[in-house]
Amino acid sequence: MTDDGFTPVDLGRGLTLPNPVGLASGTAGYGFELDQLIDINRLGALYTKGTTVRARDGNPPPRVAETDGGMLNSIGLQNPGVDAVAAGYAPRWRGWAIPIIVNVAGGSIDDYVHCATVLEPVAEVAGIELNISCPNIAEGLDFGRDPLAAGRLVAAVRRVTERCVIVKLSPNVTDIAAVARAVEDAGADAVSAVNTYIGRKIHRASGRSVLPLGTGGLSGPAIQPLALAAVAAVCDAVHIPVIGVGGIVGAASARDFLIVGACAVQVGTATFVNPETALQVLDGLRG
Amino acid sequence: MTADLSRAALETGEVLVVERLGGGLLELVARLPHLAATAMPGTFVQLRCGERTTPLLRRPFSVAWTQDDTCGFVFEAVGAGTRLLSELQPGDRLDTLGPLGHGFTVVNGGPVVCVSGGLGCAPFPLLINALRRRGVEDILVLNGARTATRLYPAERFARPAVPVVAEATDDGTRGHHGRVTDLLGPALASHPTALYACGPNPMLGAVMRTLLESGADLPPTLEASLEAPMGCGFGTCLGCALPVRAEDGSSAWRLCCTDGPVMPMRDVDWEGLSALPGADVA
Ligand SMILES: Cc1cc2nc3c(=O)[nH]c(=O)nc-3n(C[C@H](O)[C@H](O)[C@H](O)COP(=O)(O)OP(=O)(O)OC[C@H]3O[C@@H](n4cnc5c(N)ncnc54)[C@H](O)[C@@H]3O)c2cc1C
Ligand SMILES: Cc1cc2nc3c(=O)[nH]c(=O)nc-3n(C[C@H](O)[C@H](O)[C@H](O)COP(=O)(O)O)c2cc1C
Ligand code: FES
Repeated sequence: MTDDGFTPVDLGRGLTLPNPVGLASGTAGYGFELDQLIDINRLGALYTKGTTVRARDGNPPPRVAETDGGMLNSIGLQNPGVDAVAAGYAPRWRGWAIPIIVNVAGGSIDDYVHCATVLEPVAEVAGIELNISCPNIAEGLDFGRDPLAAGRLVAAVRRVTERCVIVKLSPNVTDIAAVARAVEDAGADAVSAVNTYIGRKIHRASGRSVLPLGTGGLSGPAIQPLALAAVAAVCDAVHIPVIGVGGIVGAASARDFLIVGACAVQVGTATFVNPETALQVLDGLRG
Repeated sequence: MTADLSRAALETGEVLVVERLGGGLLELVARLPHLAATAMPGTFVQLRCGERTTPLLRRPFSVAWTQDDTCGFVFEAVGAGTRLLSELQPGDRLDTLGPLGHGFTVVNGGPVVCVSGGLGCAPFPLLINALRRRGVEDILVLNGARTATRLYPAERFARPAVPVVAEATDDGTRGHHGRVTDLLGPALASHPTALYACGPNPMLGAVMRTLLESGADLPPTLEASLEAPMGCGFGTCLGCALPVRAEDGSSAWRLCCTDGPVMPMRDVDWEGLSALPGADVA
């Protein structure tokens, strides 16, 4: 037990989270904003914004649109690139108690391998989360849809890193369990599920899609039952630790994921509504 | 660069009144000691509209004015969130996160021109108050709206001494019959040290175009408060991108919520901005 009263969560390869509640990728940046708003070091993990080989400017606006009980996003993986993260951001994480897990995205196996290689010597990086499921760039999702491709990707990354490798699964597939099994077989230490669901919103006055690429990623409480079903299927399929994410707004919706077999959770969109949500989930799970 | 959020805090306040000003304009007043003490001109607050998961996200509003431990916000009911705010009763709780964003540069000397289009009036009372505390008295407000009832009342831009307010309405029901930009020419004749603008993004683009076409020297301080649909309001979702011109002339994105909402008008890529759908589209 930790001071907080939680049993640490062992994700493998030396990565132990002090408690099960983390901040989901893309909803907490690299932690520097939320560090000013909340006691971030009480949380179990920070999963960074999706990070790519080169800096990306992101998609044209509008990039966010609200829907009933949720939101669509089409950020387009705006990020400063892995070198800037390793050289510029990592030193600022020195001394943080919260484990930093860098979420990595790319369009090819080489991209992911390159990022993992750059991050490998960086002491402040506790683990990497492979985002094979971003719906807002065309290439990355293919890995998430095809168990063979996903397995090849994970095997290649496995060869260049001793770090804990978490694979973030896409829910936009017919058989999420098959992808989960493939990445487990290829050497993933853990899986997180789910990323956003592909969604679309029409601007009713014009009849056009609101988001410039037509579709975007749906997140928020609207997806919680969908995410829960996906996570339950993944938990049944693999033996490695499963991290549940999707629509968590409080301790009750988080506990659902633990009940179906997840060992940890990530809070995403709810942080936008209230930056303290993850801490409230933490306190609620303990109580 | 990481945004400075050191003043931002969650604060639950108490609604004192939602006043109907006419023409659909509303002024919400709430007791919010932290926000009142820390809001700078041009900063905004994220208001939670109701306690349900629809509408989910907070909505951004300029801090219109502060007095002692209270804050005022000016808005109209345009959608689900603002409708819920319009129904608030005295004594209700108001869940806020703020102050957020980068505000106006408060200059030390006039003359100063404030250009408001519609609800763009919102940040000006706080700005004018700050200017006066710096000793700036020569303040001209150009206030435009569709029709007379939708003009923010002149006496509310500052109390007790009302600044000079020149009004324009699209339908000619009060003041100049036409656009607020028609009033810019005479205003520039005074060689203002600062021009501040707030309103819908297309109106801001029209202000910049008019300034450039006038051939007059641009005021040294030339700033606009812009809008973008927001996910978080504090720099983590990257959802509120606005187009600016980078130093090499190429287009780049800046975040409305942390780099803005107030930006130097010289930096904005007005062409890029006008090609985007309006903020109401999201
Ligand atoms: C920095 C900033 C300051 C603002 N200050 C004020 C103010 O002082 N007074 C005021 O009346 N309005 C202000 N607005 C606009 C205000 O936030 C929107 O009118 C409000 O979000 C509409 O919410 P709704 O639920 O009623 O409308 P809906 O149409 O249901 O909103 C749906 C979505 O669209 C977004 N949206 C709609 N209109 C706008 C808009 N004009 N700008 C940005 N996003 C929009 C909302 O955030 C929401 O995500 C400001 C906007 C920004 C970005
Ligand atoms: C604005 C936004 C940006 C996101 N960016 C990323 C990302 O870069 N990489 C990633 O793996 N997931 C990203 N996600 C997905 C979230 O990490 C999470 O999987 C998803 O939003 C579901 O959880 P939620 O409903 O709690 O938000 C993003 C989500 C949002 C809302
Ligand atoms: S609204 Fe989230 S980054 Fe600006």
